[in-house]
Formats: sequence, structure tokens, C-alpha cells
Amino acid sequence: MADPFDAALDLLRRLPPSSTQKNLNGIISLRPELEEDLLSSVDVALTSRRCTKSGRDYLCCDYNRDGDSYRSPWSNEFEPPIEPEDAADLIPHGRVRRMEESLNAGFDVYRELYYEGGISSAYLWALDEGFAGVVLFKKTSSAGGSAGKGGWDSIHVLEVNESATKRSAHYKLTSTVILDLGMSSAAVDSLELAGNLTRQTQQDLPLSGLRDAEVEQGHMINIGRMVEDMETRMRNLLQEVYFGKAKDVVGDLRSIQPLSEAERDRAAHKEAISKMNRG
Amino acid sequence: MSSTIDITSSFIQGAPPSELADVVKDIKALTSDDDPSLIAKLKPAFQKYNEEQLVAVKLPGANDYVLISSYNKLDSSSSSQYYDTATSTSFEFDHTTSKASSPQSYTHDTQHSSLVQSILKSLTSHFAEHYPPSSSSSVFTVCATPDDSQIAILISSTKSSPKNFLSGQWRSTFLFDPASTTLSGSLKVNVHYYEDGNVALTTKKEVENVDVGGSDGASVVRKIAAIEKQYQEEVNRTIVGMNENSFKGLRRQLPVTRQKVEWERIRGYALGSDLRGEAKR
Repeated sequence: MADPFDAALDLLRRLPPSSTQKNLNGIISLRPELEEDLLSSVDVALTSRRCTKSGRDYLCCDYNRDGDSYRSPWSNEFEPPIEPEDAADLIPHGRVRRMEESLNAGFDVYRELYYEGGISSAYLWALDEGFAGVVLFKKTSSAGGSAGKGGWDSIHVLEVNESATKRSAHYKLTSTVILDLGMSSAAVDSLELAGNLTRQTQQDLPLSGLRDAEVEQGHMINIGRMVEDMETRMRNLLQEVYFGKAKDVVGDLRSIQPLSEAERDRAAHKEAISKMNRG
Repeated sequence: MSSTIDITSSFIQGAPPSELADVVKDIKALTSDDDPSLIAKLKPAFQKYNEEQLVAVKLPGANDYVLISSYNKLDSSSSSQYYDTATSTSFEFDHTTSKASSPQSYTHDTQHSSLVQSILKSLTSHFAEHYPPSSSSSVFTVCATPDDSQIAILISSTKSSPKNFLSGQWRSTFLFDPASTTLSGSLKVNVHYYEDGNVALTTKKEVENVDVGGSDGASVVRKIAAIEKQYQEEVNRTIVGMNENSFKGLRRQLPVTRQKVEWERIRGYALGSDLRGEAKR
């Protein structure tokens, strides 16, 4: 008998991606004991909040959450405020916070260059031999009607294992992009392309410099490059799957050109080729 | 709070074509302890799914595949019985095991029988020209509706490639009203890709009271062919348009500078930044 958690993940990979949240809730009512693991393994579209201190928007996920409060990466405070004892555990400081600030600033520029709008956020936390974090992006467009609506959500989870020598570190990245596109027109009542893809990579990357500031800068550069390369790869993959494969499958289901005509064309083509080879 | 039956029924309704068996396996793993007779209790959900998906069924003892729908269903209190016009057969169908049985010779009594045959003849040629050969994954049928007022014309083409993590389906469902010589119905297309992810294309179009301009089989099928062609071309155009417009508007392939980010210099970008001002939208 299959493992219920694996069955849950398999089910969510098959049922319509646009009803992931609803189906997730259904699975959790069938198997409440899976709730925590499922919520941390299944990616759904990100929500955002406005940071009252800085006036900027930030993205919400499990990693910056405590109960109903979320920590803004701009002010580094929870809103609404949480108990000081919990805050002491959850609010990063020192090296981790410095790197978090640096990543947020860097990805803010990256976001503007690639997304020309949208929201970005990064959250880090310490590990025994390194640190881990999540980098998030969200962009929506909602022109509506035949111009359509769309949403892109990136969720990059990273883990960095530092070596004792500080000459390099091992970076692991698991990235999920949730992409939804939809439109309606007179000719096509509705067309929706929705879904998500996940890819992983890991690399050993060098760090130069020995001072803390140089090492921290090195991490920011390595992480920035890795996330940029991954997003570019995934954007190309999404383009190929969403617009290439989907269109090809529709062509396999039904042929616009009458098949006998296609057969005649093929035969004529073959004839022409063999004439060329003979001549 | 929804019951287990409600929740699992909705899972069944959401199963992509040709992936129902996988979905049932997952349902069993999620509910194994609770109710061993759950699958039997889900029969109404299976029936609804099979009839809506225009599922292809192999007739026992034959090579033919026939189609299941609410239109070619026979009224029967004890079991699910369906009939197929082209092979003049009726049969029983078990929705939980997806198996057909007890085929019998059967011709449906209808006032429109010559029109049904005429449409079937034209539809057979149309099907051969545009769909994969009739098999476990592509079927069609023509029959009178249960109330005998209209003619149902149904086409279903499915693609299943689990090795490539792909599945898809095209469904044409039309009703021809001989009294007004109009066609109504829907075209529905689904594609599913699930390698390390879950991507679904869903599109449909409703057609209402389209004048056929004739009441013979050839005219009806000609109109259906035209509607299908226009729709499919439009779907292709839309997909291309989405790629060139909506998708690009979400995330560019490269920044306006046509270069990747120079991460060593990124602090410099932030300071210098008229990028921010101009791009704020």
C-alpha cells in the first residue's frame, strides 16, 4: 500500500493546478496528520503584505511567519508584534541579518530588471554549519478579457554548507515557479494555462577573501547568480512546456489538415527528395 | 465539513483523462483504514466522470471501441446499460472496474433513424480525416437523445503517454435539432504535463443555435468540421499570443540591458538608479 504522503503529492500533481488549495484542504481533512508536512512541501501562490514601517510590500511564507504575524524583511519586525521571547528566537541578527539585508537589496534590483514591477523578499536563518533561506518573487498582470490575466510566483529554497576553510561553500537550490495564464475572447470562451514546475541544483562555489564582510559579499554574489541562472532555465522550460508541448499535444489529438492531404504532401515531398538524390 | 465521499468524488471529477486509475490508487492510499467499501460507494462519481469524459470502451469479443455518454444510455434500474449505433450493440458497463459485458444485438427505436445513419456516415469520413484511428483512445458516435428530440454527435480523442508525463483530450459534444436545423454544443480540450510539476491547459467553447443550412447528414457534419477547425486555429493563435504578450509581461528573458546581472556591482545599480524610477509601473 502506497505511503499516504507520497499519494497526496502524486494526487496534487495530477488534479487541476488551479484547485491545488482546495484539494490540499480536502486531503488534510482526510488525513489531518499530514498537515504540517504537506503545507511545507506544497507550493501555492504567494500572498503579500505592506510593511507599515517602510511602506514597502513583502511576501509571506511559512519561513517569516509566527502564528498570524509576518516578519517584514525591510524593517525586520513582525506585524502584528509578537511576544519578545518568540521574537528573540525568530528575528535574525548579526551575520545572518546582514546577509539577509544584502540579499534583499540585491534581489530588489534583480526584480526590477527582470520583472519590471512585482514584489521580492528573502528570508534567512542559521544552520549549524552554514545557513538556509528562501527567496521569493511575485508578479501579476490583470489586463483582463483578451489581453488576459497572469501570475508568476517563484519560490527558491536554498541551503548553504560552509566549509571550515571558507574558500568555498556548497549551495543547494530547490526552485518552484507557479505560472498561471488565462484569457477569454469571442472565439475561445476561455483558455487557461496553469501550473508549476520544480527543479533542483547544487554546486560548490568559491569564496574569495577572508574577512567576514568579504565572505558575506561572496555568498550574496553566489546566491544571486545561482538564482538568476535557475530562473532563466526555468523560464525557458516553462516556455517550452506551456507553449510548445501543450500546442503539440492539441495537434496530436486532432489534425487541422485533413490526414489524407497530409499523406499526399508527405508522399510528394518524398518523391521530390528522391528525384533530387537521383539527379 | 465535507464528507469523505464528497472530497473523494471531487478528486475523481478532477482526474485528467487516462489518469483515473492513478487517482484512484492515491485515493485508496489516503483512505485505506477508514472504509473498505468506499470505492463501491463512489460509483455515482465514476459514472458521472465516465459519461462526461466520453470514455472509450472495448466491446467484449470484438475489436471495436465504443463511447459512453449520458446520451447513449439506456434506462435500466439494475445496471448501467449503453448502446452503440454503428455496431448495433447494447452492453452493460461496470463503472468501478471500467469493464463492458453482456453485449447484445440492439437497434435503438427512434423517429430520426435515417438522419442518425446519414450523420454517422458523414461523421465517419470526417473522423478519419482529422482524428487518430478509432481505438482505445479515439471514438465517436451519433445517437438520438433519450427524449428523442435531438441528435447527439460525440467525438472524443485522448492521448496518454505516462513515460513522457503527458496526457490530453479533445471532446466535441454537439446536439442537432432537426426541427430548427441548428447545432448547439461544446468543444473542450485539456492537456496535462506532470514531470516534476503539474501543468494543465484547459480550454472550452460553447456553441449555441448555429444554423446548419440543411438537414442532411453531410450538411451537419460540414458545419461541425468548420466549427472545430475555426476553434482549433483560434486556440493555436491564442497560445502563441499568450507566449508573446502575457508571458513576456510577467518576466523578461533578459533585462533591458540585454545582459545578465553583474552581482559584484549590484550595490552600484541601486545607488545609480534611474532604472527604478523609469520602470516603476
